Amino acid sequence: MKLSLKVWRQKNKEAEGQFKDYALSDISPDMSFLEMLDVLNEQLLAKGEEPVAFDHDCREGICGSCSMMINGKPHGPESMTTTCQLHMRKFKDGDNVIIEPWRASPFPVIRDLVVDRSAFDRIIQAGGFISVNTGNAQDGNTLPIPKPDADSAMDAAACIGCGACVAACKNASAMLFTAAKVSHLGYLPQGQPERQRRVLKMVEQMDGEGFGNCTNTYDCEAACPKGISVKNIARLNRDFLKASIFG
Amino acid sequence: MSSLLHFLRSTVFTKIVMAISGLLIIGFLVGHLLGNLLMFAGPEKINGYALGLKNLGPLLWLVRIAMITAFGLHVWSSIELASRNRSARPIAYDTKKSLKSTLASRTMLVSGMAILFFVIYHLLHYTFGIIQPNTYYAGGYRMESTGEIVHHVYNMVVAGFQNPFIALSYMIALAFMSSHVSHATSSAFQTLGVTNPNINKITSKIGPALAAIFLIGYLSIPLGVMIGVIKKAPPQEHMQGMSKECPDGPNCTCD
Repeated sequence: MKLSLKVWRQKNKEAEGQFKDYALSDISPDMSFLEMLDVLNEQLLAKGEEPVAFDHDCREGICGSCSMMINGKPHGPESMTTTCQLHMRKFKDGDNVIIEPWRASPFPVIRDLVVDRSAFDRIIQAGGFISVNTGNAQDGNTLPIPKPDADSAMDAAACIGCGACVAACKNASAMLFTAAKVSHLGYLPQGQPERQRRVLKMVEQMDGEGFGNCTNTYDCEAACPKGISVKNIARLNRDFLKASIFG
Repeated sequence: MSSLLHFLRSTVFTKIVMAISGLLIIGFLVGHLLGNLLMFAGPEKINGYALGLKNLGPLLWLVRIAMITAFGLHVWSSIELASRNRSARPIAYDTKKSLKSTLASRTMLVSGMAILFFVIYHLLHYTFGIIQPNTYYAGGYRMESTGEIVHHVYNMVVAGFQNPFIALSYMIALAFMSSHVSHATSSAFQTLGVTNPNINKITSKIGPALAAIFLIGYLSIPLGVMIGVIKKAPPQEHMQGMSKECPDGPNCTCD
């Protein structure tokens, strides 16, 4: 299949970026989106041009690296799918494809489609941990966890920190990410000792990084490749209110 | 204490202020609608209701101050949050598609600003009588029950909405208001963390339902005037020569 690409090119953090058009032919519908970009880069290298920089690691939908906006949607047209798991069969022959980096001031563009998502790491550092004594792990059955709580914790823990929620949000809010991280520990008994401090610290860090606010439009939930629910945001709000008043 | 200070500085607090003040305004809108619907019950009822409100005295002022505070806090929190949101994405996307969000949820700032302008206009119109002063001072009304001379709210509203431009401006404002309410109400519960699978069944529908009720309820009054269901009350015989008692004072047109 033939494609017309419009790709954001930016030399470094300080440089001004711009879109550049590329024409591709002989793209197999069985290729993944990243393999299509690999083909583009091979062609650019052959012409002596700089390849398009993009983040990727596992290429199996679990690392959260391959973040890019494809035709106005984070990770492209297929729901609950990362860019690396998106296949070219989702596009039609002759399609125009616009590829942009995430746009948010806490996610500065480093080069082309690569953004610095360290802001997420700093939110995790602020409270996304539990404190346990070293030594042998205790028997799992001594900590009974209700099945619904275990399921909810697991669902929240599925967040891969790709940033699609921030990218999709009209306010560039990181509430879904922060809420997922707060919830996945908050649902479990191991997460209780730091539950109040965690939510306060993580929200403080999130605010400090300069993300926008959640206005409950829920585009984040639809964009999330792991289907993280916005019920976690309500839970964060509830925990935050409790921790602020009673903490 | 430090957690409370931290709370007051956080964006989540600003959103909670927005949610609570918004819910108070919605409460006011319910009461305002129920009162206004008395337009269909004739001049005696609505004029008596208006008099009853006036006679509440300090309680009325308490409600007024609460509403002004709620409105002020709602506007303050929206400016605070919107300016943060703006700076969070200084470079816009070339192409961005909405995935799940409703048009109402994406245009809250626009609908909110439209409502703000409308509220000022509405107060200047029917509360202070600056817009259309000739219809505001439409003459006094002698209560059939008590004989008391009161402000003729009924005729003032009818005369106001008989002007098609005024009626149209109210209808446009109502469209913005119902769009705002349809997202805001459900959103407020999410912000306050009042959610669980059972509650969500109600809260997810309460916004659109209230928006529809407000739209139909409030629209019915200008529409009722325009199609002639609500007609101007005939002059009362015994109002002749009563201008001194009229609450409209020197602007009275009773005679």
